[in-house]
Amino acid sequence: MKKPVKKLDAVTLEVIRNALPAVANEMAADLQRTSYNMMIYEVRDFCTALIDPNGELISQNVGGVSHFVADLGVIIIDGMRRYGPKGFKPGDVLITNHQAVAGQHLNNVVIYMPYFYKGELLMFTMVRAHWIDIGGTSTGFGAGPQVADPWFEGLQLDQLKIYEAGELNETLYRVIKDNIRFPESSLGDMKSQMAACRLAARRMDELFDKYGRDTILSAVNTIFGETERKCRNVVQALPDGIYEASASIDDDGVRKGEPVPIHVKVTIKGSGMTIDLSGCSLERKAGINSRTLAGARVAYKALTGPLDPVNEGSFRALDVIIPEGNIMMARFPAPMAGWSAIVPTVVDTIVAALAKAMPDRVPAGHHGLLGGAVVFFGLHPKTNKRFVVQSLEGGGWGGRPYEDGESGTVSVCQGDVRNGSIEGIELKCPVLVESRGFRQDSCGAGKYRGGLGIDMQVRNLVEGHWNFEQTRRTICPPWGLWDGTPGESGGYLLKLPNESEFRLTGGNRLPVPVGAQAIVRTGGGGGWGNPLEREPERVRHDVREELISREAAERLYGVVLDADLTLNAAATTRLREDIQSKRKAGHNESKDH
Amino acid sequence: MIVVAIDIGGTFTDLIGFDDRAKRFVEAKSLTTPAHLVQGIIDCIRKSGLEAGAIDELIHGSTIAINTLIERKGAKTGLIVTKGTRDVYAIGRGNRPEAYNLLFKRHQPLVPRHLTIEVDERMLASGEVHRKLQTNDVEAACRALKAEGVEAVAVCFLHSYVNPGHEREAGAVIAKGMPDAYLSLSHDILREYREFERTSTTVVNAYIGPKVGGYVKSLHANLGEVGFRGDLSIMRSNGGVMTPEVAQERPAAMMESGPVGGIIASARVGMALGLPNVISFDMGGTTAKASLIRDGEPTMAPGYYVGGYASGHPVMVPMIDVVEVGAGGGSIAWLDDIGALKVGPQSAGADPGPICYRGGGLEPTITDANVVLGRLDPDNFLGGQMKLDAGGAAKGIKDKIADPLGMTTIEAAQAIVEIGINKMSLAVREVSVEKGYDPRDFALVASGGAGPLHVLAIARELHIPKVIVPLFPSHFSALGMLLADERHDFIRTSYADLASVDFKNLVAVHEEMASEAMGGVRHNKGAELQVHLDLRYVGQEFTLQVPVTLAQLKKGDRHAIRKQFDKLYEHRYAHHSPDEAVEMVNIRLAVVGKRPRLKFPGLKAAVKAKPVRTRKVYLGAAGKAVTCPVFKRPSLGAGVKIVGPALIEEHGTTTVLYQGDVCRVAPSGELIIAVRGAK
Repeated sequence: MKKPVKKLDAVTLEVIRNALPAVANEMAADLQRTSYNMMIYEVRDFCTALIDPNGELISQNVGGVSHFVADLGVIIIDGMRRYGPKGFKPGDVLITNHQAVAGQHLNNVVIYMPYFYKGELLMFTMVRAHWIDIGGTSTGFGAGPQVADPWFEGLQLDQLKIYEAGELNETLYRVIKDNIRFPESSLGDMKSQMAACRLAARRMDELFDKYGRDTILSAVNTIFGETERKCRNVVQALPDGIYEASASIDDDGVRKGEPVPIHVKVTIKGSGMTIDLSGCSLERKAGINSRTLAGARVAYKALTGPLDPVNEGSFRALDVIIPEGNIMMARFPAPMAGWSAIVPTVVDTIVAALAKAMPDRVPAGHHGLLGGAVVFFGLHPKTNKRFVVQSLEGGGWGGRPYEDGESGTVSVCQGDVRNGSIEGIELKCPVLVESRGFRQDSCGAGKYRGGLGIDMQVRNLVEGHWNFEQTRRTICPPWGLWDGTPGESGGYLLKLPNESEFRLTGGNRLPVPVGAQAIVRTGGGGGWGNPLEREPERVRHDVREELISREAAERLYGVVLDADLTLNAAATTRLREDIQSKRKAGHNESKDH
Repeated sequence: MIVVAIDIGGTFTDLIGFDDRAKRFVEAKSLTTPAHLVQGIIDCIRKSGLEAGAIDELIHGSTIAINTLIERKGAKTGLIVTKGTRDVYAIGRGNRPEAYNLLFKRHQPLVPRHLTIEVDERMLASGEVHRKLQTNDVEAACRALKAEGVEAVAVCFLHSYVNPGHEREAGAVIAKGMPDAYLSLSHDILREYREFERTSTTVVNAYIGPKVGGYVKSLHANLGEVGFRGDLSIMRSNGGVMTPEVAQERPAAMMESGPVGGIIASARVGMALGLPNVISFDMGGTTAKASLIRDGEPTMAPGYYVGGYASGHPVMVPMIDVVEVGAGGGSIAWLDDIGALKVGPQSAGADPGPICYRGGGLEPTITDANVVLGRLDPDNFLGGQMKLDAGGAAKGIKDKIADPLGMTTIEAAQAIVEIGINKMSLAVREVSVEKGYDPRDFALVASGGAGPLHVLAIARELHIPKVIVPLFPSHFSALGMLLADERHDFIRTSYADLASVDFKNLVAVHEEMASEAMGGVRHNKGAELQVHLDLRYVGQEFTLQVPVTLAQLKKGDRHAIRKQFDKLYEHRYAHHSPDEAVEMVNIRLAVVGKRPRLKFPGLKAAVKAKPVRTRKVYLGAAGKAVTCPVFKRPSLGAGVKIVGPALIEEHGTTTVLYQGDVCRVAPSGELIIAVRGAK
């Protein structure tokens, strides 16, 4: 495709700049409203995009799961290589989820269609969406880390034309239908994905008719360039240097007790940024591998232009280094069933590395996980129908340079991802949600404290299975920043009918009898700044609100309250001095050694 | 009969009255005085020259509800909830709509945690009692809240939408224990599942209740003191009116009571002209609003987020669906850090206002651009009461926009207006194209001070063939209030497969809602009942509101209902699945009490219109000024034809006709404009 270079007037450029994201967002709204599975309509586990034949991102929806940022280009590059530029016809619909290129779990099924204007292939309209099942062990949020390879995980679809020139490939359709558990849901979602792609084509027709091919394509190029410049301006203002940070995940879910290291190195030079993830773990024999630039890109986007639309220009000034064989550049057939589990922690580690470069914009660490995942499933004895309870509970975010972190909110890789309403869950599934509430003292202490984690307690009214498998961050809990303390990490607890107390638990497809109770627990955010500098009035407020205990007020913040919760100023000053001098002594002591 | 509408906006309080016998309109405008709203209303009536005692009906819309919430000036509120759900209101849905923003903000609860109290009780989704309500818990909660000086109490128990028994019981205890507190029970406010949204709506109602309820009460009393003996009605967000008694119980229903007036007026004007399908377009100082009306009925939304989706308060009270964009006369033009020209969403508002207002504004706005382009006459703004600073406007645009971009001032002014127009077109698109409606099948009704200035450009952009500039375009909301019917919306969650819905039960629910509704309706003779079912394919979350008839429910006509759903789905999303099972989530009932229709006087017929002068105006993108005749709207008689380019000026606005647009004055007074080049 020849790229025209045309000088555009300010108005036309601005109009096209507004129109392109509007198309992607309209696709997203359409998909969300017509989809059949909560992973799409509540978890918003999808993305919609327009991609040019070189794999460059023209526009993408904003608001859903953030780790899908600008990651569809590789599929087009691969598709163009396989089919050739003349290998696509109007009416073609392609389906793919193959990990060698897509690099994510198989539930994420991409549907795309070539877009022709006056006979010329100008772009592809695409929708990636999480299907509720793709066969194998993929039901629900996706298979667990124990899944050894993609064949075990589910059905692999490698750049296949499910429609060729408008003609359905019945054989392929039946293969899919017969190999997935909820065909009415997933094939309904496929229909919605195709409808969204067609909608985008209609909108692009209108735009091309109005402005013409050359104007639109020139505008796209200009917008890429301008977006790049905007990002460069932000990075240019940061001091040059090399910034590093480390974190870890407790284990990969297979080799228990062996932490998965995460190390990031960010180099800022002029207006360019390089994010090097070579220091992260090598690929594992557990399903937490991926092939994705998402970790680096989500962090870069958050730091350079969080509220602007995404396009190819958003990442032109970013170099990402991930060697082949790294946990995030895993080689097929490394298992990827839990591909995104470590991504929020990777993003947060990159952000943390840059705390020194942008101290006024970087919060302390957040809970860093894709949720307290609530997953309970079984067969309803009355209706004989399968049911799945699914909800994602948010956790605490880190304290910020000028205010406390937010509580009970989804991770940095999830945007407009909503928990299941208690009433909605109970209307559909035989469980009783006994509580959903903040966990006192789960927040890290700081001048600005972290947000709180959540306990969601559920009693099952029929027998069934719980999934208690999620990444853990107990070795490296959500960190504090600038002398703030870490937040508490989350986990799962279970109490069987004959037991008197909850105990920590884990594992997948755990069978439980009627009347068992489970607690899905999420972590709190780290604190920002020295807790002894927190205004005593704020500490008093937190005690009154029962967000922190009196004991924590004294121990962590040095704030003493009288029985009626009035501030004891004198005792507070004394206690704070006392803690301060002890800390100093401790500090000197450790230095002496 | 004399009917009067009073609309309190951010800047002005507008009054429009109509005397049915004398066939005469009365208008008055005064500055809004936020501290003395009621006095402002009384003053406005005095200013209009009307005798309060002669007014038969007074309809009132006000921003007091939304301002009380946004400025957080409501009552000290307590919240009583089911054990285990103390933090549901603060946790909300746990989402972050601004996906990449590390410093995102969640909604800020209106009730602190220490005033949120759990009581022992539990209903199941089936409506069965799982744990009986412990009334002594409620008594203890009352004591604690009373000790804290709480003035308003919200109660939200799980599954109260299906069985409100415990909420009613608790309500009785609270009424006894805290007789002075304002009380809102969630099932009274919203009988729909999803506890966070219901809690938020109920809390908002309680929070604004004492202030807004007190205001309505004091308005009623004060009007009585000056001799008013007629009916007082309050405008609500669903486009209908309600009695003061209902308003005091459900102040949350008043949230958008101002803007919806203009939409009702658009619907009525359209119907009167034989145009049941119109799009209402209202452009004021800070925003532009678009809303779609089909078959004379505005489109309804189930609710909205006050303060925006990302961090606002959900208020799930049915309201007219409006798309709002940050483009108004006061919207500021600016260059971002890479030099791209942007317009809005920041607005110079009324204070300091656009540069040309001479109020100290320094940033160029859409209004300034219109002055520079000659579309607004600096000497005839607001009938010449306010002289505009055209030189200042030009200098501001030159310094801030034209010079940095290397354009002429005129080019820059044109660019500002065009970008504004594009933004507004997106809003009109959103209510039409994106909902499956072709704007070419609609007429665009323009209102607001800046609406008629831009409406023809927007119509052309979207190929809308016909534009209507109604009477009183700058008092259009008040006019709509004169014309609004009484309307009450009810909803009940009733969850079942369509194939196995118990229609007998559904009819019973319908009867229950209808009898409750009729109790609050003043004009209950011939009241109209509209029933909708919220349906979806099994497995989906979002529903479509499908209109059904009581006869269909009584007959249990699943087949017809099902077909209607598929049809609606196809229209909205361009595909449907006739083989998929369908389920029902809610039943909705709207009760519309028809108010007597007013018969407005027509215009005298005239043959020709005479321009009062001509002016140089920049209209096209070519950057060449054309000489435009200027007409005074009050001088135009029925049947007059004006071919663009032309300007038609009236007190609060100017209609801009482009080359080839053809305007005819309707016998009833509206300007009906055929848009050039529309297909």
